[in-house]
Amino acid sequence: MEKGFFTFIVGGKAGEGVKKAGQAAAALFSGMGRHVFQSDEYESLIKGGHNFSAVTTGLRQVTGTYLRADLVVCLDKRSYDIHKDHLAPGGVLVHNSDAMGPGSWKGAGIPLTSSAKKFPNPELRMGLGAVAALMAAIGLDRSDVMKLLKEEYARDLESNLQFALAVHELASPHVGRRFKLERGERKRPLLFGNQAIVLGAYLGGLDAYFAYPMTPSSSALHYIAGKARELGVTVVHPESEIAVMNMALGAAFTGARSMIGTAGGGFGLMVEALSMAGMAEVPVLALLSSRVGPSTGAATLHEQSDLRFALGAGHGEFPRLVASPGTVKEAMFLSAELLDLAWQFQVPAILLTEKHLSESTMTVDIDPSEAAWSQPAVHAGGEYKRYRITDDGVTPLLFPPTKELNKWTSHMCDETGLVSEDPGMITQMHEKFIRKGNALRERLQAMHTVNTFGNEGRVILTYGSTTMAVVEALRFSGRKARVVQPIYLEPFPDWAMGCQADERPIVVEQSSTGMFARLVEDRLGVEPETVIKKYDGRPFDPEELAASLKEVL
Amino acid sequence: MADDLTTYHENTWCPGCGNFGLLNALKKAVLALEKKGVPREKLIQTTGIGCHGKMSDYIALSGFATLHGRALAVAQGIKLANPELRVFSSVGDGDTIGEGLEHLVFAAKRNADITALIHNNGVYALTTGQVTPVSERGFRGPSTPLGNPEDPLNPLALMLESGATFVARGYAGKVDHLAGLIVRAIEHEGFSYIDILQPCVSFNNTYERYNKTTEVMQEPPASYDDAVRAVKRRDKLLLGVFYEAKKAPFHIEVQGDRNPAAQRLPRQDRVDRVRKLLEA
Repeated sequence: MEKGFFTFIVGGKAGEGVKKAGQAAAALFSGMGRHVFQSDEYESLIKGGHNFSAVTTGLRQVTGTYLRADLVVCLDKRSYDIHKDHLAPGGVLVHNSDAMGPGSWKGAGIPLTSSAKKFPNPELRMGLGAVAALMAAIGLDRSDVMKLLKEEYARDLESNLQFALAVHELASPHVGRRFKLERGERKRPLLFGNQAIVLGAYLGGLDAYFAYPMTPSSSALHYIAGKARELGVTVVHPESEIAVMNMALGAAFTGARSMIGTAGGGFGLMVEALSMAGMAEVPVLALLSSRVGPSTGAATLHEQSDLRFALGAGHGEFPRLVASPGTVKEAMFLSAELLDLAWQFQVPAILLTEKHLSESTMTVDIDPSEAAWSQPAVHAGGEYKRYRITDDGVTPLLFPPTKELNKWTSHMCDETGLVSEDPGMITQMHEKFIRKGNALRERLQAMHTVNTFGNEGRVILTYGSTTMAVVEALRFSGRKARVVQPIYLEPFPDWAMGCQADERPIVVEQSSTGMFARLVEDRLGVEPETVIKKYDGRPFDPEELAASLKEVL
Repeated sequence: MADDLTTYHENTWCPGCGNFGLLNALKKAVLALEKKGVPREKLIQTTGIGCHGKMSDYIALSGFATLHGRALAVAQGIKLANPELRVFSSVGDGDTIGEGLEHLVFAAKRNADITALIHNNGVYALTTGQVTPVSERGFRGPSTPLGNPEDPLNPLALMLESGATFVARGYAGKVDHLAGLIVRAIEHEGFSYIDILQPCVSFNNTYERYNKTTEVMQEPPASYDDAVRAVKRRDKLLLGVFYEAKKAPFHIEVQGDRNPAAQRLPRQDRVDRVRKLLEA
């Protein structure tokens, strides 16, 4: 493992504070001025099962969590069985000796359950025990424990402190000061993907957020609902995803910038209204965060299988935007940019992402003032026609209340917005949409739409959060390649991909059928030599991906 | 009626359609509201799909012609985003009591400050006469040639149960009475529902029946329970306001007096607020 790198994994049952322990560890490392990547794996249940949180920290940017950890703390027997063989060289394993039963076990045993039982709600505190063991292992003392708990475990602080200090003392003889983590240059904010996405939209002008809970998009709803007052945003969780999308379109009619958040199944329910956004030319930003499909699939796990759905959803023909961020930071700026473009071109914009980005946390260097700000063309005065035929297909907007008649409609219509089935009018409206799509494509040609990492060696094409895994895998292995990531997927930035016609790129994606590879073939006319796919519901482990890439690079 | 509330669009309702009475009542209501100080530009209409949906082509008011069943959801989005607007939905019975029932029940439950004007003709007229959720048992249409096997819903009882704070019934054949109801419904703060009996001359001609069985209430029901009994009467179809109550509307519960569209936060404010969050 790279010098300065350190990975901490805590595993246990749902309801034991496993995710919280990962978050506290992330806060601890970022407080030390280090870069952090934290991800969680959990099941669709509230109590029991197996959850784990992995935190990798380094002195350079980290874009994935490694499954071979330096320190693993297992709160139960199942975690021990799953993680005991995933230690990095020199790694340390701590298990809960109360949970193991008779036998001989690897690593250091600490009686976490019996220590926790001295306090109320013992199971909720188990994760904190893992954090206390971590602090002992990296040589932090009692005063550091007290400082962290005040920030991260402030509820029932006194009991938390007593418990954590007791575990710290129990762990110290076994694992104390086994690792030395250098401090980094400065403390950076920690953001999770969905948080970055809603904050980015807010910076771009978001006024109203509508969503129905669905993993892995729900944390966007929860975050913005929790900050609604502080930020001055209206947040509504209505009766269904159908209501969500239709309410968002209604809000847009007034000029309020609106957004929805969902996953594949919920997006399915919104598709009729998505088509209405196309027909009526309503700007709306949709966060579509993928999980394992089809149907209910595996609700809490990761996959990139909604690409074609995002590109093709909706009956009829209309221009749209689809883009997918590669990192948490990119997600924030992309969200603002998509909101702006949606309003400039009066089209639905889909921010396509996945569980791994939505729910993973990273340290970021962000200047919020660099975010785009949505500025639609607004009617300058005089006679108004909502669907006036224009050269670029965009009709300036007007918001009620106004003396001028302002008719929005889901029908083919005349320029005023009254229903028309006239053959000439229908032709003109279709051509208006085509010109608008062309104008959108031209706009994108003047923008940064493709990321490239590295400039020598084979071409690797990837997109979305898989980009992070590819870049991390190359850093891990020290191999050279040119990684090309289209941020925009519709319009597809074929002009900026830099792929030669005879190029036989390697494609890396998380779908079982190679949806992205087929898109690349379709849009670039290049045939991938190899498609590295993963479809077990888990994001690529950088080390595992490095091994797969080694075979083809 | 040629006037400045009428658009240039050709009217294609069947001669004698109950919708004419509805359109005239709505225009009278708009004029009456203007006299009361509500300018017409603040009246925003959403419509669904069906013969009723043509209202948006025929009346010169701003609005949004939406999907089948979704007019109330769009209306709620408009009202939340700009509470200064008076939003009403012209919708059908198949449209809103069938396809979009969830939005109707929830708009009532959350007391969204919008008005639902149900063009209740008991039939899908635009698609040539199929049964709707309020059609009588035995009703024969192209999808139920042997007769409707289901009993009808009573939407007024459903609205009372769901939490609507203004529940009324009007009749397209009593235009002035209906106009008065529409004015009161739009003025009402909270969710207002008017079930409007609308004969369909082509597929469900109920003029004769309604002329015989409708009766304007002289006194409103004295209580909620009386209102429930009144809307369930089968011998008489009572017209008027069955129930009216005061309750904070949804947009106030959600965002207080803030108007998201009219008081959009400037860019710098947003940057400052996000900076503060990131530094925390």
